[in-house]
Amino acid sequence: MGMTDISEARDRDLLQRLRDRDEEAFRGLFARYAPTAKALAKRVVRQPHLAEEIVQEAFMAVWRNPESYDAERGSVKSWLMGMVHHRAVDLVRREEAHRRRAEDSIPDAIHEVADHAEDVVQQVGLPEERRIVRSALDELPPDQRDVLTLMYFEGLSQSQIAERTSLPLGTVKSRTLLGMRRMRASLEGLER
Amino acid sequence: MSLDHTTIEELLAVQTLGGLDGDDVEVLARERAAHGDCDECRRLEDGFAETAGRLGFSLDPEPVDAGMADRIIGTPIEAPPPNADPPSDDLSQRRERRAVRGWHVLVAVAAAFALIVVAAVTLRPGTTSIVDASPSQQIVRFEGDGTDSASLAMAYTPGRPGAVFWGRNMPDPGEGQVYEIWMIQDGTPVGGGCVSPRDGTIALAVDADIGTTEQMAVTVEDAACPAAPTTAPIMSAQLV
Repeated sequence: MGMTDISEARDRDLLQRLRDRDEEAFRGLFARYAPTAKALAKRVVRQPHLAEEIVQEAFMAVWRNPESYDAERGSVKSWLMGMVHHRAVDLVRREEAHRRRAEDSIPDAIHEVADHAEDVVQQVGLPEERRIVRSALDELPPDQRDVLTLMYFEGLSQSQIAERTSLPLGTVKSRTLLGMRRMRASLEGLER
Repeated sequence: MSLDHTTIEELLAVQTLGGLDGDDVEVLARERAAHGDCDECRRLEDGFAETAGRLGFSLDPEPVDAGMADRIIGTPIEAPPPNADPPSDDLSQRRERRAVRGWHVLVAVAAAFALIVVAAVTLRPGTTSIVDASPSQQIVRFEGDGTDSASLAMAYTPGRPGAVFWGRNMPDPGEGQVYEIWMIQDGTPVGGGCVSPRDGTIALAVDADIGTTEQMAVTVEDAACPAAPTTAPIMSAQLV
């Protein structure tokens, strides 16, 4: 990792103290990131109580095994959000499988397509990091932003996105790559 | 030897966003194996993972249960016993398993629950109906007090295992709560599964045999999906 600022250094210090079962360090990390983790989980699973469970499980994993964080591979905050996102997507996929099975058996008369139209972010008056991430998303070409949004925030797989948007699978993948490259370039200078 | 990272980069970008599926899962695994201990692969993967992790910060923070940190800290660190529930990412499976365990413990509450269901249905004569969807498939529509705008239906084929539940405009069961579906068989409520509505919609497929079911009922339960009903039914349907 390149630039490491005071904020990231503090996170790493908290992680280090967690290895010694420092409860205050855990509370510090929790207070700092649990609200964003909850927002992410809720955005993906759309159920507040499930989002809360996901956050609890992710932070439980941190509390039980802080050694799983590898400082060589990235920031604490991205590691944490990755755990939350992974759990949320897993849950959505399992429930989607149930939903798909159900929908396949439902007569057309009572079949209804859910409306997933939603904006990613819209608010103003934000902390600096939030503002920069939103700005980076806003600056993406719409076709790339749409694919990233469906994949990350809606928990859809590449195949599901191709099906929903009627795009070839290859186009979904190439837009994802281009979008991620742009986002990465935009965020590389962001404070960690 | 210089390796081509075109495919691996594209698939890693998708993977770190959680979108990889189908044949590409195997393709990526094969590519990674072919690259072996590859610094460039790690650099790409870590870079995309870092970027993906930042995306969540575009969202406005949500309030979190104030006692959660203390509960986590208060949880013993020891490894779970062999028969304990699986960790972290098995929420749905855990709920389903708990529903299945209900088969073994329902007898104790069956009589009381059956009375509740019978009362609920009897007090609302004519509120249930069965409509033929096809020569073999049946659709049963649930009815209930205080759920006027909600609709819940079950589709099944008599004599064959499996049923599908479909609900619309279902109210939010509340924080930490889910809907649990029960099949009343010989006066015994048998768990049919727990489900949370998404945007008011419910879709649930179960493998249970509806064959001997006399009535169906829905209760609001804790998200842990209890093995036996703990509340009175909010919706019910008569099958025979």
